[in-house]
Amino acid sequence: MSNMFSITNIKNRFISVIAPDIPPLPSSHSHQLHRGNISGAPSNYQLRMAHQQKKPDKFAYARPPFLQLLTIDELRASADHNVRPIIVPRDITLLPWGTGYAECVNSGKSEWNEDQAAFARQVLSDPTHSHPDLPYTYYGIFDGHAGYGAALAASHQFHHILHEKLVDCLELLLPRDEDAANSKQDSSFPHPSHFQRRVSKDELIIGALESAFFNMDALIAQDRDRYRDAGGCTACVALFINGKLFVANAGDSRAVLSQRKSKCIEKNNATTGAITNADNGTGAQEVFAVPFSFDHTPETERLRLLTVARLKPHLMEKQYAAMEYAKRPHMKDLGQRILCRQGTMKGWTYKTLTRDDLRMPVVTGEGKRSRLLGTLGVTRGFGDHDLLAINTGTQIKPFLTPHPEVVIRDLSKIVSIPDENNEDGDYGILVMATDGLWDVSENDAVARTVFQTLDKYPTEKHRYTMVAQELVARARGKINDSGHWRLADSKAAATVDDISVIVIPVYQYYKEHVEWEKRCAQVLQERRAKVTQSATEACEDESLLVNGVTKAQVEVEHDDAEEEEEVVVEVNRQQAQATVELEEDASQKAESSGQTDPLSAHQSAEKDVKDLIEHELSAAISALDATESSEDDKKEAKESSVTTPEKTYKAQQPQQQQQHQHHRNRNRKDKR
Amino acid sequence: MSYAYLFKYIIIGDTGVGKSCLLLQFTDKRFQPVHDLTIGVEFGARMITIDGKQIKLQIWDTAGQEAFRSITRSYYRGAAGALLVYDITRRETFNHLTTWLEDARQHSNSNMVIMLIGNKSDLDSRREVKKEEGEAFAREHGLVFMETSARTAANVEEAFINTAKEIYEKIQEGVFDINNEANGIKIGQQHSPTNPSLPGAGNQAGSASSGCC
Repeated sequence: MSNMFSITNIKNRFISVIAPDIPPLPSSHSHQLHRGNISGAPSNYQLRMAHQQKKPDKFAYARPPFLQLLTIDELRASADHNVRPIIVPRDITLLPWGTGYAECVNSGKSEWNEDQAAFARQVLSDPTHSHPDLPYTYYGIFDGHAGYGAALAASHQFHHILHEKLVDCLELLLPRDEDAANSKQDSSFPHPSHFQRRVSKDELIIGALESAFFNMDALIAQDRDRYRDAGGCTACVALFINGKLFVANAGDSRAVLSQRKSKCIEKNNATTGAITNADNGTGAQEVFAVPFSFDHTPETERLRLLTVARLKPHLMEKQYAAMEYAKRPHMKDLGQRILCRQGTMKGWTYKTLTRDDLRMPVVTGEGKRSRLLGTLGVTRGFGDHDLLAINTGTQIKPFLTPHPEVVIRDLSKIVSIPDENNEDGDYGILVMATDGLWDVSENDAVARTVFQTLDKYPTEKHRYTMVAQELVARARGKINDSGHWRLADSKAAATVDDISVIVIPVYQYYKEHVEWEKRCAQVLQERRAKVTQSATEACEDESLLVNGVTKAQVEVEHDDAEEEEEVVVEVNRQQAQATVELEEDASQKAESSGQTDPLSAHQSAEKDVKDLIEHELSAAISALDATESSEDDKKEAKESSVTTPEKTYKAQQPQQQQQHQHHRNRNRKDKR
Repeated sequence: MSYAYLFKYIIIGDTGVGKSCLLLQFTDKRFQPVHDLTIGVEFGARMITIDGKQIKLQIWDTAGQEAFRSITRSYYRGAAGALLVYDITRRETFNHLTTWLEDARQHSNSNMVIMLIGNKSDLDSRREVKKEEGEAFAREHGLVFMETSARTAANVEEAFINTAKEIYEKIQEGVFDINNEANGIKIGQQHSPTNPSLPGAGNQAGSASSGCC
């Protein structure tokens, strides 16, 4: 919202030139001046606001934690309005998948950078461990206005609210056996006992996002009793879950997926492949941008705003008109015909101008300059509960909504041919940024910059950080001798607003998801096998033998697998022993099942499975963390597979767990 | 803590010459032998005393890699002092000084004090650039010169403080327009007694009257 408070912005800029170093201020200056502008507003309101300003901040001002700007000195230096340094994480491993981030402060319109960014990695897990866990990753970007409080609160709290919402429908989201059976019929599942209609997982996640947006807004409203008024902010949130990308947006921040078509065709046509590979990489036709959010400005939301005005005319307090005029009407035009559109009309018509028509339209201006009640340039987001319109003091909040629009991409449907090495192009790079970027950069230009920069740094770990930095650098431009920020290439005005950019390599998430899926499928398979095994105990011998071999071989792996001959002997010996042991086990089980009815046997089996899954998942998660060490595991497993060809190395860990489980079962039964 | 002046420094020079290590040694008094590549810019700060006055140094440590050059250029603006660093064990870092100096002169204000620093003086056995060469280059271009070691901390204090002394002298001589923040100098609370004292980092109860920084 670069030009929301243009007058006060200028004022601030003048002050900034001569002001000595001052302490960090809790509230943006423009906020207070803005309040003071309200002419004719009841003075008790101003008193309330004065009281409001004495309340503490809910969160101390800070930049996103992954930037590690820990001291007030660093914070101050990063907010240098004359230089506008581009800040990137000093430790790029703090963000998953090599995700890039860069930001830059405004040129002086507010003391602090009022944008905020956040990310979180979480796991949805069933307290009873009857289903495998479901991990997810969240990124959020929030553009504050009229103070930094709302954006700061959202960056601290939104992901907690979202997590609660997801946990609410946990049992419907977690992967389960039925999914495998019904995998052909989409991921939706009929639950006639719970729902009148089929509700898909996607709809549940969309619902979680939507309700989290509403709750965040309500929380900011509640906090006004105890904390300083937070102002407002936009919210653009990306959620990576279940192999899908969800982008929820409220406001004029934007998420755009930068994609690039595969280069294979050119490669095939070219006689000298190496050369075309290098310079066709950034060809304009190949690169394209797919919008993943819609801006919510008075202009784009005209229909909704005028519907609100029409249905609740009292909100306009007889100060505004649900009308739009082709040209601004004046007193002298009274009684004349004037071109206008009334309410939610799309086309234009003539009407005779009356005195009431001289009121200010609910929506004025076009494009980035469009305003709601002549004041606000953004129509969805969090906060703004106390925001009053300039000059009239009319409440603005009833026209606003935190309701996000959600866009989904199912990443499993994307085809990417490994030989083409175009994963970043096929899956796309998700660029989430505040309007500081989008005000001066077209989506397609951003997409081109993304791939140009990636080509420049083909292997660097920080390549996505470089993309974010480059995007911010271009939008910020350079300051000229007269102190104006200009774009480097066109000399047009650069953005004077705060700029924040997140650059997410979507394929890196998908890779992680595929790994998780494999583990998950395996867990479910194990579980099924276990259930069958326990339920049909009479014909157990064969499977037990298999388990016996497995056990022996698991123990082999604990030994030094280098001496193969010894290993074989060991296996044989242990195999024999294990078979004996397990036969005993089986007979014991048969005994116990003789005493109890089949249902309870089944229940105990299910309990075993729960324990089993609990173990396996903890193993799977630790394996996720240590993907590097898995290389060694694979090697080891290959060596051992010489002696036991039945086993694949992927099954190694769970089988080991299963054996432990077996021992435990036996112990339990012994106790009985 | 209040201060009389705040000076903004920038540290520049080829990648791997020890810019970040110099900063760390000066601000934290420690040496980190393996340092990650600086991406973009990092900040440090320390209070020093000159002529009985508290002076805060705000130091911008920049990325040395060529890829960052254009962004680094935008950081010269508003710097009162620059530490131009080369590595005495790598001749090419000395050879690039001319380019760095041109960049600095072109993009900074003309009064910026530039200190030439030959770093890694503890690695004398691997020296490729003689001390005399550094001295000659500094003399030729009107710079102050010093050899330092971020590892042993030799001359690190001196390098930062001598630069500050030079800036301070220029202020006394009236060369710097201290009211223009773009010169890299800010007047602190000690000079404007009407202002309330600077609250700590966590204290958000500052007055709104002094406007915007």
